[in-house]
Amino acid sequence: MNVDEFVKAFGERFPEAEIRVSENKMPHPKRRVWVEIHREKFHDAMGFIKELDPRAQFSIIIGMDAGDKLLAKYHMELFWEEGESISLIIGTSVPKDDPKLPTVTDVFPSALPYERENQEFLGFVFEGIPDPRRLFLPDDFPEGIYPLRLDETGIKPEMVKNAGHPYKIGGAKK
Amino acid sequence: MNGRLEYWVKVPIGPIHPALEEPEKFIITLDGERIIHVDVKLGYNLRGLEWIAMRRNYIQILYLAERICGICSFSHNHTYSRAVEEMAGIQVPERAEYIRVIVGELERIHSHLLNLGVVGHTIGYDTVLHLSWLARERVMDILEAIGGNRVNYSVNMIGGVRRNIEEKHKRAILDMVKYYRNEVMPKIEEIFLYDPTVEARLRDAGVIPKRIAIEYSAQGPTARGSGVKKDVRYNEKLSVYPDLGVKPVTPKEFTGVVKGDVFDRMVVRVGELWQSMDTIERAIDQMPEGKIKAVPKDNALLFQLKKADGEGIGRYEAPRGELIHYVKGQKGKDVPAKWKMREPTFPNLFAIARALVGEQVADVPVAIASIDPCLSCTDRVAVIDANTGRKKILTEKDLLKLSIEKTRELNPEVKAKPEVIGVGCPRGGAL
Repeated sequence: MNVDEFVKAFGERFPEAEIRVSENKMPHPKRRVWVEIHREKFHDAMGFIKELDPRAQFSIIIGMDAGDKLLAKYHMELFWEEGESISLIIGTSVPKDDPKLPTVTDVFPSALPYERENQEFLGFVFEGIPDPRRLFLPDDFPEGIYPLRLDETGIKPEMVKNAGHPYKIGGAKK
Repeated sequence: MNGRLEYWVKVPIGPIHPALEEPEKFIITLDGERIIHVDVKLGYNLRGLEWIAMRRNYIQILYLAERICGICSFSHNHTYSRAVEEMAGIQVPERAEYIRVIVGELERIHSHLLNLGVVGHTIGYDTVLHLSWLARERVMDILEAIGGNRVNYSVNMIGGVRRNIEEKHKRAILDMVKYYRNEVMPKIEEIFLYDPTVEARLRDAGVIPKRIAIEYSAQGPTARGSGVKKDVRYNEKLSVYPDLGVKPVTPKEFTGVVKGDVFDRMVVRVGELWQSMDTIERAIDQMPEGKIKAVPKDNALLFQLKKADGEGIGRYEAPRGELIHYVKGQKGKDVPAKWKMREPTFPNLFAIARALVGEQVADVPVAIASIDPCLSCTDRVAVIDANTGRKKILTEKDLLKLSIEKTRELNPEVKAKPEVIGVGCPRGGAL
């Protein structure tokens, strides 16, 4: 299955999704498929991808703070056995006051560490995640602080220590 | 009680452990000698790179990305450049693409030689460690000659490369390839393909079946060792790699069988050493003349990036597997709205943690070393230390103060005054 066939198949199944194919410049063109879909349909879409290619490889969850909502983009590699693979980025968004997303660990088991990571760094809530513990942050890190958020729940200035240029840390006084 | 006594033991391996090169923690539940569960805890090497990057512009991030990891410093910076180029639509000159290929493959050679040595070390064969690291010096010298540094060679720039490969470099690289072909590779093959002791130790240890490798999205030699034929350079049709004939290397071409154990992963690395040398020779042959940078001046480049508004993905096959960077630009600012990366060790760690279940505890060090873990890469996100409740995190200054107090307490006779050394620990007159 190539990019066009994939876009057609996906578009027929999810007509409401926004699908865009980007192509970077010559001399080495590479096409990527970017999909935007509502979070209600998100889990179905992931299931559909798994149906299309049972061997799809899960690469990354990119979580982002975009003002009043959080964006999550999932990158996947499809049909890698047939030479040139399809690079697919499927994104969704959630409002900040209700940051719930369905977990996709039942479809792609390898998504678990990425979900744990985004949960602690951006404050997503993945519903049905089998292992909601922290992965990177220490256990005594304060609750309710999400380091990569850009609003008031992010890192506060008074939490920052020993940051900046090494010649200017702490030693300037006296 | 039904008379059967059953107990499980939890053994923590890490954060600091002789079997590991870098801090990470595996909590292994054992039933006798058999592993029944492996839990991974990361974050002992967190430096908050994504957080730092919120305060850096595109070009500064280039050098920050390089410092994610010393061994794959070219890969990070290359993948980041690709993501920015895709985001801003910058066209890279052909010669720069070839230089990227050459430096990337040199890096792969040094990384694989390093890992061969580390695996030799974990099975107690320290001669391999010393000799393969000695052989590795040659490629490090070449990298130093090209980039000026043994690691962090800063070869990449957004839209090209910063260092050219001249005639003298070409001669040195071809000499190096000849040296590796004739003197190093026969010995390495002797050890990793034909030595009965090594085979007995590495065969059937730390097996990752193909199904698990696919399910857990293992990457790089870890996946290819299990017979998963994927390689980003080949699957992505990345830059000039298709012209150079790069194909995924699996153990099938060397030994005829694919078992997915540590031995197979080492076979893949040996195969990729050969492949890298061929690729370098071909790239040097085909390299055209011309520019090496799309935009020669950095401030002009920043100005161009300021106008860019979009998102881009960069993917590259780092020595350990698929590396992926994502960059989202914002109009009118020279700081990206988001920069995010994922390193191959991250999925590989969870794949090996799953695969270790059912194995013997003695296989843990070699199985972990066989995925060539790079924890500096994996633990890159957030954070800053914090005062939490009554706990206080001690800074360098506090620790120094305490250690001086303790010394005085142990021996009040100490006359010497602590000297001021280093810029990181300014002591002031209070002590």
